[in-house]
Amino acid sequence: MAYVITETCIGTKNTACVTACPVDCIYDAGEHFIINPAECIDCSMCMPECPVEAIYPGDEVPEYLQEYATKAAEFDYSGIAPGVEIN
Amino acid sequence: MADLEQRNLEEVKDLSVKEAVEIIRQAGIVGAGGGGFPTYFKYARPLPHLIVNATESEPGYWGDKLVHKEHLEEFLQLFEAMKTIFEFEQITLAVHEKDREWYADYQEHADGVFDVRYVPDTYALGEEKTLVKHSTESRVPRFVDNPDGTRRPGMPPDVGKIVNNSESLLNIYNALFLGKPLTTKFFTVYGEEVDTKVYEVPIGASVSEVLGIAGLDVENSGHLTVLDGGPYLHDVAIAQLGKGDAYVRRMTNSLFVIAQGRQGKEYAEIKTKCPEEGIVSLVGEVSGVNVPLGGGLLTPATPLVSEGDEVEYEQKIGEPVDQGFSVGVWASLGGEISSLENGIVAIAGGAIPQEEAEAEAEPSMAGGSQPRGEGEPFQEAGSSRGSK
Repeated sequence: MAYVITETCIGTKNTACVTACPVDCIYDAGEHFIINPAECIDCSMCMPECPVEAIYPGDEVPEYLQEYATKAAEFDYSGIAPGVEIN
Repeated sequence: MADLEQRNLEEVKDLSVKEAVEIIRQAGIVGAGGGGFPTYFKYARPLPHLIVNATESEPGYWGDKLVHKEHLEEFLQLFEAMKTIFEFEQITLAVHEKDREWYADYQEHADGVFDVRYVPDTYALGEEKTLVKHSTESRVPRFVDNPDGTRRPGMPPDVGKIVNNSESLLNIYNALFLGKPLTTKFFTVYGEEVDTKVYEVPIGASVSEVLGIAGLDVENSGHLTVLDGGPYLHDVAIAQLGKGDAYVRRMTNSLFVIAQGRQGKEYAEIKTKCPEEGIVSLVGEVSGVNVPLGGGLLTPATPLVSEGDEVEYEQKIGEPVDQGFSVGVWASLGGEISSLENGIVAIAGGAIPQEEAEAEAEPSMAGGSQPRGEGEPFQEAGSSRGSK
């Protein structure tokens, strides 16, 4: 059950999560960062790093933020590299 | 009395929480899994459920699996005693699904209070919150409000769980039952140009010397890098083997040898074979050690020795202080105190021929290596972050 980056990342994009991720599964999705659920190993390293508490375990995402889980599941990760570099 | 002395099961059970915690503190036990968190503090406030983390996560590791295989009786005795001392309602050994067979002996001893639980094989870095989630119905809260209005990340004690590393628990057994302080570390040596080994090594031993014992031609291996850790989480111990040195820490879980210029993560698919000979002890086999009195989370212990003193193996060399977190420090090698600088006690032993010792241990003995985050729970991960 992958972790999910949600709303408060928008306008923040602090990058601490990207640095913390041991498997490089966090990508730049434009206005916020996004975790590729196919690559996330559920380690939770990113969650406490986020200064705006944007990251939730997949099964604890509040209903009103579910769209971020859906977006992460459907996002096209092909052709972009993980990390903070502009793709 | 909270002295380090031999005790039988009944005598250990008779210890109060306070006495047991003080023995663990005096014995110098810190989280062996990589956190380096002072173990005594985890038990100072008893909680209902102890989860023993046997989910060795980094690819290629064998240390915890061998520790459990070789010390079944010790673990069972310890669990028996801990149920009484700390009044645990549940003691759970958490293992990966793939290791079900390996831990079958433990499953046979499950009695309701002690149980074995299987968690998904997904690599999870031994992360405590994730382990709680996979092995219980509880969820560690994402964040918790402090009384002063600040917020901190949730921890297992917030839901009544203590998560402890397997080797740390064996160290607790050694302290409570055998009166033995912490002086050694179990870890795997593997990677390029070296056969996989699991050693029990005196804390503070030279990394180069250990790799030499493992069969590497250290002086002619400048094309290799040594990581203290595994493919995912590690510090660089020696960037170019043969140049500089580092020493074995209380939370060294592996010396992983990789080709210089490559990233640890490139080895994530590595498969290793469990060494047939099991755990090999290097106690008394190394020429010198650098033992830190503190570092990271730990306030340095007060040194009980001076330069030039002769010490015995397992002699106390540091008395814990009352400020912050502090633990007892013990000689991991018998010999002469060759220096006491920057909170590090260097002991020269001379177990191997002098010229060999000089060649292999000189950088370490000369203080060429600095302590790398001893006792810092979250700095470990920082190392692999730095590699990005």
